[in-house]
Amino acid sequence: MIRMTACAMVTLTLGSVSAMAQDVAVITPYLAQPGTQFYVDGFTARAQELGWNVNVIDTAGDVAAVISRIEDMVTQGVDAIVINVDPAQVGAGLQAAADAGIPVVGMDAGSDPLVAANITSNGYAMAAETAVYVANRIGGQGNVVMFTFDPFPPVQVRGVIADAVFANFPDITVLDRITPDVSDGGIAGSRAAMEALLAANPAPGSIAAVWAAWDQPALGALQAIEAAGRANEGIVITGIDANPQARDAIAQGGNFEASVAQDFVGIGTTAADTVARLLAGEPVVQRVIYVPTRLVTIANAE
Amino acid sequence: MTASLRRYGGVLGMVAIVAFFALSLPDTFLTARNLLNITQQVSMLAVVAATMTVVMVMGDFDLSVGAMASLAGVVAGVLFVQGWPVPLAVGAALAVGLVGGLLNGILVSFVGILPFVATLATLTIFSGTAFIISDGRTIFGRDIPASFSGFARDGLALGMVDGRSLALPNLTLVALGVVALVWVVLEHTSYGRRLYAIGGNREAARLAGIRVVQLRFSAFAFTAVGAAMAGLMTASRVASANPTQGDGLMLTGIAAVFLGMTLTRDGQPRVLASLAGVMVLGVLDNGLTQMRVDSYLREVMVGLIILTSVGVSALSQRRR
Repeated sequence: MIRMTACAMVTLTLGSVSAMAQDVAVITPYLAQPGTQFYVDGFTARAQELGWNVNVIDTAGDVAAVISRIEDMVTQGVDAIVINVDPAQVGAGLQAAADAGIPVVGMDAGSDPLVAANITSNGYAMAAETAVYVANRIGGQGNVVMFTFDPFPPVQVRGVIADAVFANFPDITVLDRITPDVSDGGIAGSRAAMEALLAANPAPGSIAAVWAAWDQPALGALQAIEAAGRANEGIVITGIDANPQARDAIAQGGNFEASVAQDFVGIGTTAADTVARLLAGEPVVQRVIYVPTRLVTIANAE
Repeated sequence: MTASLRRYGGVLGMVAIVAFFALSLPDTFLTARNLLNITQQVSMLAVVAATMTVVMVMGDFDLSVGAMASLAGVVAGVLFVQGWPVPLAVGAALAVGLVGGLLNGILVSFVGILPFVATLATLTIFSGTAFIISDGRTIFGRDIPASFSGFARDGLALGMVDGRSLALPNLTLVALGVVALVWVVLEHTSYGRRLYAIGGNREAARLAGIRVVQLRFSAFAFTAVGAAMAGLMTASRVASANPTQGDGLMLTGIAAVFLGMTLTRDGQPRVLASLAGVMVLGVLDNGLTQMRVDSYLREVMVGLIILTSVGVSALSQRRR
């Protein structure tokens, strides 16, 4: 064990960098997830330009360990901490940082009084993008099927906006507002619901569009429409999030026409910029900072 | 000389680790605040490792502790959602632990299934149950009473240091209480001595009139109730409950007991040695994080240190 420790000592001495620059810790349980890696890449790239020492800590899914690592970073006296985890679950760590006067910035983390600012995508804006896409695409008239999920707040806000957009077109009728069964991921439950609706509305053109608050119901609706042999009726489908499966469907030029991509790298970059502002002593009054999203259609789906 | 090096090698290794961090992190490592912090961070692991020691004394072990920790947290969480008062929900979660422990005990002692198989099966049962009653969701936010999540944030005030209050965390106090209880049971009761006798030679213990079956049955209750308590401590610390949040405690808990066994003269599990093992793991996590060692490299190093110390101990035992 002694030899091991000596060995460790060499490794650590080589690994540590002189701590003259600003020290910033990024702590997440979710580094293995693709989205998180983009956030962190965006953050570290900008941090490098700013000359910071960034310590990325992954707790491999362990939320309790996030608290421990925040406490360790507070003990170490870092200049700022960035988290990518629900702040409500790491309140004990946030309190330790607040007591030590160390600012905490969230990267798509959720809002909390102890988080100086949370950097994320604007769910309201994303829903507006696809809802007006649908309304414009069907010429402001026809029956629209909505897939929403109100129990989950980030998705609930999307539904509210789509409601408002469709209500503003007198000739658009919302045929049904479906909350799909999501226990299997959302595709199968949405497909079953869509199949029932297609059966209830057999006339071609009786369903003009499907607006889904995220991609899985859109994919389920697409499967139902194709299986029912009604792919050539011109039913317009939109989703949100632009996951790989959705991009693939959009690129194929079928009924699934549009989705919205979040700028994960941009969220990381903006988080670094926000940390820089806090470190410079600038007041950051916006507790939630939105990074623009991008509409994905066949023109740019690849 | 070599004998004493063997005897105290593990202790020296631990001292070396602490000294290394103390030298590398002169301003932040050996501070009261950081040390109290470490005790809080390892408190859940300490409870699991201390109660795991009870069954490891007999040469058994319990793989279901992590799943039980998750299950207990979820049980409390679901009862909070249904409006149960905190003490009742906590009591019910501990009762679930007791029932689970007795189930393990029945399977291992009365039925005679190998502990590895029996507790592997109950691991999946507990884990599945946690998913069923929570619907796979995380229970958090307003559903968790403030008095429950506040417990993990509070402590016994020790005064002010650098303008910030310093406290002995409640979680640390709970862990100390459990360790003390297990220490008394194992080291100062005939019950504990009989468990060690079973671990020494089960057949001889039986022939000497020790009721092996009943003792093994009861010992598993300690482990599961300890696991349930650790699960509640975790839930309080993260102010939420989900069906997997305690799972990691099992392997680390067993590792801590093994680390501790390298410290004892006869290589037997001793609860204070298990506590030392827990502290080594906690110190490594804390120190390496502060030294900004990559988190994946950190995991590899912790594994290597466990292997090295247990390996050295095994080799020296064989030479004896």
